[in-house]
Amino acid sequence: MNAKSSDSRRKFGQSANGFSRRKLLKSGAGITLGLTGAPFIASGLFSDEALAASTINIEIDAGQNENPFRWNADALKSKFGVQFKMIGLPFVGQYEKLVSELTARSSAYDLLVFPPYFLGDFVALGFLRELDPYFSLLDPQLDDYMPAYRDPIIKRNGKTYALMYDGDLLQVTYRTDLFNDPTEQKNFKAKYSWDLAPATTWDQYMQIAEFFTRPPNLYGTAFYAARGFCYGWFANIFAGLGGRWFSDDMKPTINSDAGVKALQLLVKMKDYSPPNILQIDYPALNEVFLNGSTAMVVQWDDLALKVGNPQMSKVVGKGGFAPCPGRSLLLYSRVMAVSAFARNPKDAYRTAAYMQLPEVSITYVYDSNCGQDPYRLSQLKPEAAMKNHTGGPALDATAAKSYVDAIREGLKGGYPELGIPGAPRYLDILDLYVSQALAGTLQPKDALDATAREWDSITEAEDPDRQKAAYAAWVKSFKDAGVEY
Amino acid sequence: MTSAILAAPALRPRRHANAGRWFGWWMIAPSLAMLAANSIFPLVYALSVAFQSYQILIPVPHRFIGLRNFEKIFSDGLFWSSLGVTAWFITGVLLLQFPIGFGIAVLLQRLRRHQDLLVTLLLIPTIISTSVAGFQWVQLFNYQFGPINYLLGLLHLPQPTWTADPSLALPCLIFVDFWQWTPFMTLLLFAGLRSLPGSVIDAARIDGSTGWQLVWRVYLPLLRPVIGVAVILRVLMTFKLFDVIYVLTAGGPGTITENLAFFTYVQGFRYFDMGYAAALSILQLIVVTILAKLLIRLTRRTLTGVAKE
Repeated sequence: MNAKSSDSRRKFGQSANGFSRRKLLKSGAGITLGLTGAPFIASGLFSDEALAASTINIEIDAGQNENPFRWNADALKSKFGVQFKMIGLPFVGQYEKLVSELTARSSAYDLLVFPPYFLGDFVALGFLRELDPYFSLLDPQLDDYMPAYRDPIIKRNGKTYALMYDGDLLQVTYRTDLFNDPTEQKNFKAKYSWDLAPATTWDQYMQIAEFFTRPPNLYGTAFYAARGFCYGWFANIFAGLGGRWFSDDMKPTINSDAGVKALQLLVKMKDYSPPNILQIDYPALNEVFLNGSTAMVVQWDDLALKVGNPQMSKVVGKGGFAPCPGRSLLLYSRVMAVSAFARNPKDAYRTAAYMQLPEVSITYVYDSNCGQDPYRLSQLKPEAAMKNHTGGPALDATAAKSYVDAIREGLKGGYPELGIPGAPRYLDILDLYVSQALAGTLQPKDALDATAREWDSITEAEDPDRQKAAYAAWVKSFKDAGVEY
Repeated sequence: MTSAILAAPALRPRRHANAGRWFGWWMIAPSLAMLAANSIFPLVYALSVAFQSYQILIPVPHRFIGLRNFEKIFSDGLFWSSLGVTAWFITGVLLLQFPIGFGIAVLLQRLRRHQDLLVTLLLIPTIISTSVAGFQWVQLFNYQFGPINYLLGLLHLPQPTWTADPSLALPCLIFVDFWQWTPFMTLLLFAGLRSLPGSVIDAARIDGSTGWQLVWRVYLPLLRPVIGVAVILRVLMTFKLFDVIYVLTAGGPGTITENLAFFTYVQGFRYFDMGYAAALSILQLIVVTILAKLLIRLTRRTLTGVAKE
């Protein structure tokens, strides 16, 4: 060692300009401990009690569906002293986000708003609180629910885990000016030998779509073909052709003849749709009808209300509504549930129960500025559809009657969306292969065979006996509610 | 005694040396702890999860299943298609970015003025967040309202559906990556060009080299090390590309633009099959490491070659 450097080197801990290395280490350790301890101190200061006061966090898919809560913010504050913060998640991707957070037992959300096909998984994983014990706080008046939206949707194993917020089904919305035009009627009859009217079979639907395809200004139809929910538009046709999700012994029947024909029809339907059909999702599907470029679409039932709003629509007064050919898929819907990790479950429940009361829900299920649709028997009245509680335009008498009748008829033949444990995975796999068939990378039969194989492996991973029991219970709940399956 | 006295001074420096060594360890301990917590622990944990059946959505305990997750990878058609997409993507990106990036770098090199200003302007796409760039291109590619189709319409040219068209979706993504990252390639190559010895270039010019000869016989051979680094960086960056795909196509139409990173994300965060996703991640780590090693070796070989020349 160099003598000079040895001399100049200070001993460990020796002071230099009044600040030793030992001091430096001690200070460093102190700062590190202080920084790492800060979150613990903060969590003590902002404990559950401190934060619980009267503000709840509401998780919901971002956009128009947040509006009903906002419209009722003052009422919730004055009646229950509840304030809320909306946390909007993406419409496609909501499941991933929720599972990630709830698996980590996050208390970021008190009230969860999600589609009921998540419910099977969420109940099985213990993410939700049972709501029956809270009913004494505010009676949710469940007797007024339409049967298809009551027990099969909000209950699991006889217990209530959710309350309705939005009752969805797919419906045909068509241009009455085109369908009632004498020249169109005459030409249609000459070509297809039957009178132009809303289709009652899928073959008829395809003929109407073909007839009105006059690019680039008019297309026969359009559908949700983007990844995320294209499975719904396939399943809607599949149900109309007599298809079922599974056989009684839990074998996939998605690749049956009905399935293959349904997917072939959907692929063919692209020829009668706007060129960007593979990009068309919920807002785009609304847009292509509302801008007058499409003769008819299958879409969620809230499109009817937007047709009547001149701020959104170029086809005001030209909308007719009908149930889907064969059956209408009860696709999506929204329920409100209280998180198992909620900091303020009582206020979360009060908020949910209040929002779905008959006198409150009637104010938003017929409003074009949100996406909520009827789910109570008391809401199924044309006169209710003719009143807009937020001051916007409402449907005229003819459109209101056509709309409510279409919902009623659609519900009669409603086909339930899968709601057993694992449903989001079953449906996402179906969506994946339907989108591959639409993109032309797989033939319909191959796509559905691949779906069936993957469904089998999901059932195997979940436990076949448990899945079979869950499926049987789920089917029974719909049959008990008067829905044919 | 004498020996003890003689030995004593020798002990003290050793103790000091030990103390100094410990001091060093103490000083780097926080960094090591952070490294262990942030990098080594997740890696080891992912490795252990890769050998387990661990599905968050199925409420059963995890269990050791050996190599079954890896077996599943090789029998999964979607894995192979995502690997194919990744390979196409990397090839497409490199084939576009390198020659054009090099061409721009040479042009910049020849400019007498405003080089720095132009480099700054060129870098704008690279410094934009990829998700923001993705949203920008979503608007540009919009079939109905996008400016590209508007301009094509004015010229009475066909208006494609871009990312909704199965045959155009992947080229669109490659183009967006080209737009965003070619300036980065240009910058690296331009820096390399500026560092080339002027005497060699002057000598080549005096010997009567044409522009092309200068590029082929002088610039490219001398730039090999820089080209190697640029290619390695771009291959690695493109291999793990996720954000622009998520924003622009979400892997669609179908799975036409679903690369390996996106496929892994889907398995992990859509289906919550953590064991399978971990196995996919480990496999990607191995592939990327081998790829990087090969490219580095190639660069070293070319460096040696340049040195010999």
